[in-house]
Amino acid sequence: MRGRFGLGSALALALCSFVVAACGGSDNGGGGGGGGGSESGGGTNQTAGVKKIDPNSMKGAKGKVTYCTGKDTPGNTHAWIKAYNAKNTGITVKILEFPTSADAQRQQFIQRQQAKSGECDIFSSDVIWTAEFASQKWLYDMTPYIQSRKADFIQAPLQTVTFENKQFGVPETTDAGFLYYRDDKIKQVPATWQEVYKEAAQNGGIVYQGAAYEGLTCDFLELMFAAGGQVLNADGTKAAINSPQSVKALQLMVDGVKNGTAPKAVTTYMEPQALSAWETGKYAFMRNWPYAYALSQNDTTSKVKGKFQVAPQPAFEGGGKAGILGGHNSVISVYSKNPGAALAVVDYVTSLETNVRNASKFSLAPVLSAAYDDAKVKKALPFSDELKQAIAQAKARPVSPVYPQISQAIYNNVNDALAGRQTAADAMKKAQAAIDKALATF
Amino acid sequence: MADATAVQKTGTPATRRSKGLSERRLAFLMVSPSMLLIALVAAYPIGYGLWLSLHEYSVRVAGLSRWAGLRNYRTALSDSEWWAAFFHTMIFTVCSVSLEFAIGLGMALVMHAAFRGQGIIRTTVLVPWAMLTVVTAVMWRTMFESPLGFVNSLLGTNTVWLGDQPYALIVVILADVWKTAPFMALLILAGLQVIPTEIYEAAEVDGATAWQRFARITMPLLMPAILVALIFRTLDALRVFDLPFVLTNGKSGTSTLSTIAQETFASNRIYGLGSAMAVLTFLIVMIVSFTYIRTVGGNIRGLAEE
Repeated sequence: MRGRFGLGSALALALCSFVVAACGGSDNGGGGGGGGGSESGGGTNQTAGVKKIDPNSMKGAKGKVTYCTGKDTPGNTHAWIKAYNAKNTGITVKILEFPTSADAQRQQFIQRQQAKSGECDIFSSDVIWTAEFASQKWLYDMTPYIQSRKADFIQAPLQTVTFENKQFGVPETTDAGFLYYRDDKIKQVPATWQEVYKEAAQNGGIVYQGAAYEGLTCDFLELMFAAGGQVLNADGTKAAINSPQSVKALQLMVDGVKNGTAPKAVTTYMEPQALSAWETGKYAFMRNWPYAYALSQNDTTSKVKGKFQVAPQPAFEGGGKAGILGGHNSVISVYSKNPGAALAVVDYVTSLETNVRNASKFSLAPVLSAAYDDAKVKKALPFSDELKQAIAQAKARPVSPVYPQISQAIYNNVNDALAGRQTAADAMKKAQAAIDKALATF
Repeated sequence: MADATAVQKTGTPATRRSKGLSERRLAFLMVSPSMLLIALVAAYPIGYGLWLSLHEYSVRVAGLSRWAGLRNYRTALSDSEWWAAFFHTMIFTVCSVSLEFAIGLGMALVMHAAFRGQGIIRTTVLVPWAMLTVVTAVMWRTMFESPLGFVNSLLGTNTVWLGDQPYALIVVILADVWKTAPFMALLILAGLQVIPTEIYEAAEVDGATAWQRFARITMPLLMPAILVALIFRTLDALRVFDLPFVLTNGKSGTSTLSTIAQETFASNRIYGLGSAMAVLTFLIVMIVSFTYIRTVGGNIRGLAEE
């Protein structure tokens, strides 16, 4: 009796441990990554020998395609998939939604690529990840396809898919920060950032995204690029952020917090907090993305309804105009089992039809110039002219496989400076060292 | 059990020896599945983490890796940010565990006392513990956040709670205390309930005051339960991740050993260094638990023998 019980429990335990090990195994496969043996280094050309897409493969392609994207909160993905599947081209698209958080989306995709999983044929990649994915040889080189369409796109978003002179994706939607201003308090849009801060000081202040996260990198780089600063040198091998121009741009923001033009709490603001501060009606300016327009106009708690306008980012005194590009690119996984069909779908996702629908129904900025002339878009986005201008003057964030570390070096040090924990000059010096360290990562 | 001893007594020395061997083999057989299980779910990941920590995996060239020896450990130990995270973790652990102990003990004494409405009190006290940590963190963030949080308007202050040092760490500690003091209370309550009431009655007959009964009877007899609770909480606190991650993203002086390892491993994909940081966390937790068991485990045994 006792023996049988022992054997039975041993079997049960062995079975359990097998199941657990199997689950654990797949987890490790996802998280560990890079476990393979050493290969000879690719030198400076990290994308040599990567698979190229064949533009002709989309003709007559059939089958199933999975489109992976972050949570479809706006609803635009479901809309285009419904429209596409209704066309009965012989290709059916299925959506696979990842979490809302950008970091979680990136990790979901990375885990699949490390496992060489073909689950995601297409991934809707944030503009800042494309270079990193390309350098890992996870993406098809889309240059042969995009060649014939280059002239149709606004040039700035095209920069975000370009790595080592090849295009690794097709821009889907784009985004650029706006300067929101109260037209009942501010007579005329200030022409420079210096004037913005001067006017803000007298009319209630300015809010933006100052927490230590990606958003602050955007907000700071907008001023820094306008002032003439650079993050990296021309060939991307060394940090170039510690320049008088960058220090000047940061000093303007630091002084703003110090003299109360921007509230001290701005160092904890992300987009939603900046928006709710702006909606209290206290502030004269806000830096935010276009999505805040409809919310400021419609939120029941908003006290700024009908009292504000948007403008592209102003110039920096002694510099020029700039901005930071957001948005998403369609990329095709090298592990896709049906790249031809995937390309056919990408062709539709980035078509004029989808661009117009995205803009007119979901307020997402088009990447094709022609979409801005569409009557439906003009009607749905009263600020479409400002938007096109903001996008045209915007710049891509540094395109680098170690971008996450570069961004941390920027937002951590800028945040410390804004909170008064270090001077603007020290912040840029430390950011320079941290970026050089990031670039030296093996 | 009685059968076995009976058999042993009647058997000759030779059969006893063979019996012993087969019993040992049986014991080995019975333990081996759990050993295998432990090996698979604990030893394998730990070994794999160690293996990763001794290598470097390129973040720029796909599939490129090289042997690094102890270089990742040297990098981590010479990194001022890692040391900052280390100190934040230590401050967090000491402050949160001692506050939780004090409050948890108080809660347990209240819950133990027999009175009307005891059930309601016990339930309410446990609500924070039942809540998901991430939900707790979001709730505390909303309370302290500007401009919607009510804490500043309540206190009439203008503090940037989640963006200034040391306030951000204080908020993280408070949130942890709020959430886990009930857990401490639960463990201590379990300890309280096994103390026989006769001892108190005898003490009362002997004329012991309430304080004397608490200090001379309750506390010593509660020690084993308290020590178990302290070990649990200390080890948990050393690995804290979710609260600082959600409340402040590990910024503004709230980085911990776990948040910095996660940032390095998952966000920056520096697998070797990230694993080395995780192994260091593991070692620190090991050292602390060994010290606890050495200094305190003996006490428990001593108390049990008394």
